[in-house]
Amino acid sequence: MTKKYGSLLALNQLSVQVQQGSIYGLLGPNGSGKTTTLGMALDVIKPTSGSFSWFGQPVSRSTKRRIGALLETPNFYPYLTAQRNLEVAAEIKGAPPSQISRVLHLVGLEQRKNSAFKGFSLGMKQRLALASAMLNDPEVLVLDEPTNGLDPEGIAEVREIILRIAAEGKTIILASHLLDEVEKVCTHVAVLQRGVLKAEGPVGAILSAKDSIVISAANQQKALDVLAQLPFIASYHPEKENIVLTLQDGFNSADVNQAMFAAGIVLTQLVVRRKSLEAQFLEIIKQPS
Amino acid sequence: MNLLRIELKKIVPYYTFWIILAVYAGLLVLVMMAASNISINGGQLGTQVYQFPKLWQLLTYIASFFNLLLGILVIVLVTDEYSYRTLRQQVIDGMSRLELVLAKFYVILGIGAVTTLFLLLVGLYFGFRYSTDTGTDAILGQIDHLSYFFLQAVGYMTLAMLCGFLVKRSGMSIIVFILYAQVLEPILQFSLSDVIDQYLPIKVFKSLTPMPGQELLDQMTTPTELLTPAWATLPALCYIGLFLLLAYYSLKLRDL
Repeated sequence: MTKKYGSLLALNQLSVQVQQGSIYGLLGPNGSGKTTTLGMALDVIKPTSGSFSWFGQPVSRSTKRRIGALLETPNFYPYLTAQRNLEVAAEIKGAPPSQISRVLHLVGLEQRKNSAFKGFSLGMKQRLALASAMLNDPEVLVLDEPTNGLDPEGIAEVREIILRIAAEGKTIILASHLLDEVEKVCTHVAVLQRGVLKAEGPVGAILSAKDSIVISAANQQKALDVLAQLPFIASYHPEKENIVLTLQDGFNSADVNQAMFAAGIVLTQLVVRRKSLEAQFLEIIKQPS
Repeated sequence: MNLLRIELKKIVPYYTFWIILAVYAGLLVLVMMAASNISINGGQLGTQVYQFPKLWQLLTYIASFFNLLLGILVIVLVTDEYSYRTLRQQVIDGMSRLELVLAKFYVILGIGAVTTLFLLLVGLYFGFRYSTDTGTDAILGQIDHLSYFFLQAVGYMTLAMLCGFLVKRSGMSIIVFILYAQVLEPILQFSLSDVIDQYLPIKVFKSLTPMPGQELLDQMTTPTELLTPAWATLPALCYIGLFLLLAYYSLKLRDL
């Protein structure tokens, strides 16, 4: 899909597919096209070109009833109570009114169901929006920045609700500019920057790039010879008097130390260099597309 | 999905809605009472003009001035949906754009029916108080003015709804609505010949509730070409349909 606002290219030929049961993160800085993408998929923003489908069908009332979504902000009538707001939403979604108390319980708002929406804190508003999205017991949940603007306690509450919903086996599509949120919650991720897809795949493959290990030994050449023989070394290169190496899955710095000692080399330095998420992210979005 | 029931759930607890309706009702009754107490040649005006069946035309003519208030009410209801972003949420939750327009049109029909019913009660009250002839024939003789009033109120409100959907913000929509109805179209009417301008929307709506004694006035001055209420019905219905269609396309072609 492509979306232009006048001359501004908000989204450039994005093409992704979300598998059933996955928790799919749309990751990118503010203004990278996340909300535009979700808005188009939710039928409120017109794509300039391209198309999308839900469950293999074009968007329709019946596909919408299998989706629960909140876009940007919690959208409710400020003068209506939580209960009344959910009654309106339930009527539109064709959900039985009996669901209202269930979803209020799910987000912990049953005590405040008779309070007007305008008196709610941001966290409560966000939770009510989650409750509304859950009214029709949807197969897919679409959440746009669900923790944006919340205090730490609110963030923790909302994340816990999301994980609880995910545990029920629902597919969740989550837009966020918070790396650590995507890493903690999602199984798959697409990284967007200025409307361009920079990377896509399982979170493990995209975000948790392998830690590197830095070693040094008195005889660097001999150490390099040994490394070439070791099966669990993924890559290595000398860096001044040090050697930087990465390992295959399932091995750690202890294995390196042991192998070196067995080969008669005593390491003078052994350091695990952890790559920060932020550094990885910057690396991803710097890649030329 | 019952569109009217959804709208009622939103409107019934909404104070602003009831306040505007109360102002409408209060102003109308106030004007009727004030007019009845004016005394001319020692006699109360009320006893002269609040006579069945002529009363219905006067009543609907007076009420037609307050249609702008009903229009503002509809604009508030439409633009609220933009400022709360609930229009967007309703589409996400499964409503079509056509249903968004229809839901508001049902509200318009509802408000039109309620105000027409209110007018009937007000008319009966003043009629029974002042009219010398209170026979069934006299009461029901020209009561069809009420149905013309209903059409007129629905027409004004549908135009207001279109302004709301097009402009999206309440203040600007109200200005556009009043500017068109009170300034722009009168200027247009002034610059066009009567043959054409009698078909302009506001003039069509106005001709549904003609001023009592217009015929007399026409004899003294150059007559203005004005459709009779019966002849104005079809063009009024066409305008209502056109406004609905434009409102629908403004939603269909733009992002929410």
